[in-house]
Amino acid sequence: MNWSTLVKVARFQLVDRTGYIILPWAILAFDFLVNLALIASWRAPHAPAQTGACAAIYLFFMVVGALSIFQALPFALSLGVSRRSYYAGTALLAIGLAVVYGLALAVLQVIERATGGWGVSLRFFRVYYILPGPWYLTWLTSFVGLTLMFVYGMWVGLVYRRWNLPGLVVFFAAQATLAVAGVIAAARASAWPAIGHFFTTLSAAGLTGLLAALAAVLLAGGYATMRHVTV
Amino acid sequence: MTPAISVAGLTRRYRGQLALDQVSFDIEPGSITGLLGRNGAGKTTLLRIIAGQEFPSAGSLTVLGAAPTTDDHLLSRMVFIREDQLYPQYGGRFTARHTLRAASWFYPNWDADLAFALAADFGLPLNRRVMRLSRGMRSALGIVVGLAARADVTLFDEPYAGLDPVARQMFYDRLLADYAEHPRTVLLSTHLIDEAAGLLERVLVIDRGTIILDAAADDVRGAATSVSGTVIAVQEFTAGRTVWDRRRVGSQESAVVAGALDDTDRARATALHLHLEPLSLQQVVVHTASATAVSQPGMHTPERTSA
Repeated sequence: MNWSTLVKVARFQLVDRTGYIILPWAILAFDFLVNLALIASWRAPHAPAQTGACAAIYLFFMVVGALSIFQALPFALSLGVSRRSYYAGTALLAIGLAVVYGLALAVLQVIERATGGWGVSLRFFRVYYILPGPWYLTWLTSFVGLTLMFVYGMWVGLVYRRWNLPGLVVFFAAQATLAVAGVIAAARASAWPAIGHFFTTLSAAGLTGLLAALAAVLLAGGYATMRHVTV
Repeated sequence: MTPAISVAGLTRRYRGQLALDQVSFDIEPGSITGLLGRNGAGKTTLLRIIAGQEFPSAGSLTVLGAAPTTDDHLLSRMVFIREDQLYPQYGGRFTARHTLRAASWFYPNWDADLAFALAADFGLPLNRRVMRLSRGMRSALGIVVGLAARADVTLFDEPYAGLDPVARQMFYDRLLADYAEHPRTVLLSTHLIDEAAGLLERVLVIDRGTIILDAAADDVRGAATSVSGTVIAVQEFTAGRTVWDRRRVGSQESAVVAGALDDTDRARATALHLHLEPLSLQQVVVHTASATAVSQPGMHTPERTSA
């Protein structure tokens, strides 16, 4: 695995720019315009309108992550790319795009703030709790969030490639089990107040660190699944 | 010399079904080998394992002296063209031209001129989306990638599904021409044995996961002869020989005799008014495969009888 191979893999992904570049922004633009039109026509002026609709770009990044495996992986392997290089090259591309896209989201947030929510008090790029802060924290959190979603998508794609639908069901069931076990354990230990306190006092930077740690775990899980994936 | 492909005891199990059973062979660099066998015999599984796309349950495998799954440098010296290739789709326009461009980055010996010349010969619409190409055109695209990659190890799995006979002949001609100038190791699986026969230097016949014949193509061609004439004459001629198959219509009989015939045999056949016809590669393969399918005692593969 060397840099030139990773760069080739990234270029391979971008041969068709639709998935990585055009669609994420086209979807976000459409999503934004719909929200803007609704808020402008329905809300009383100056009452802040919070929407969580900018999640669309994060969700779509997850879809692209999954597509990078079950649509593009087979041809890449036929062209003599190792699984490891393909995984690393694709993840690096996603991280690179997340840096740029995160900055773009931060810039849009700055504009939103400066224009009083696009003139209609719309809070589209400012999200309570998650993306409330200064532009550099928005950049950092968006970058980590996009990376996290892409890496998770890749893992979903890998599980599907390797174990098909039953595997995917088990994969999601395992996550649900983990979540339920966490909830039960927290209830038994009467830890809910402490957990609530932890999250309410957690800074945006702290939250970002948590998401980054989760992304690292997902990246490792995907890598382990990747090593024996077949096409 | 290190074999281009070396396989030993290769076994692949899928949920109790044995797709490959103890497959062993070496392929020397600079040869064209045909991988022949019936549907479901294990050809694609074997090629996918050699290409590093699938993993064996047991056994060992080296390509150009190394394992073909992790080494990028080694992998860039190998190309695998499969019939059911899936191409990237992100909802956009991944065209035939995109395919060639992407392939050119990964192969150090990629010949762009050859790629475009071949594409023009096949009438490949380069600006059309790969998923909109007809089956034949998609096969042509695979062939162009496989030949222009000039990879040391070139694996073709039924590369010409949907291609018309003219285009298939073009594939054979261009493969031979390019092979002559840039020798490499080609392993080609096919059903169209007689068509590809002129190309093949060696044949591997696989049946239900086992290699049942591994021989030089020229040896296989002379390995059996069809003898036909009156029942009495045929009976007399074939007495004491290994006979693969007998067919009788009225007083006429036709038998397939294993092993090479010498001049004495031919003279005898002429005296008995027998008609002799050497079996083609395809006929030998069919007999070999059906012989093991029936697995009657006394039925031998040509490999054993001619040894």
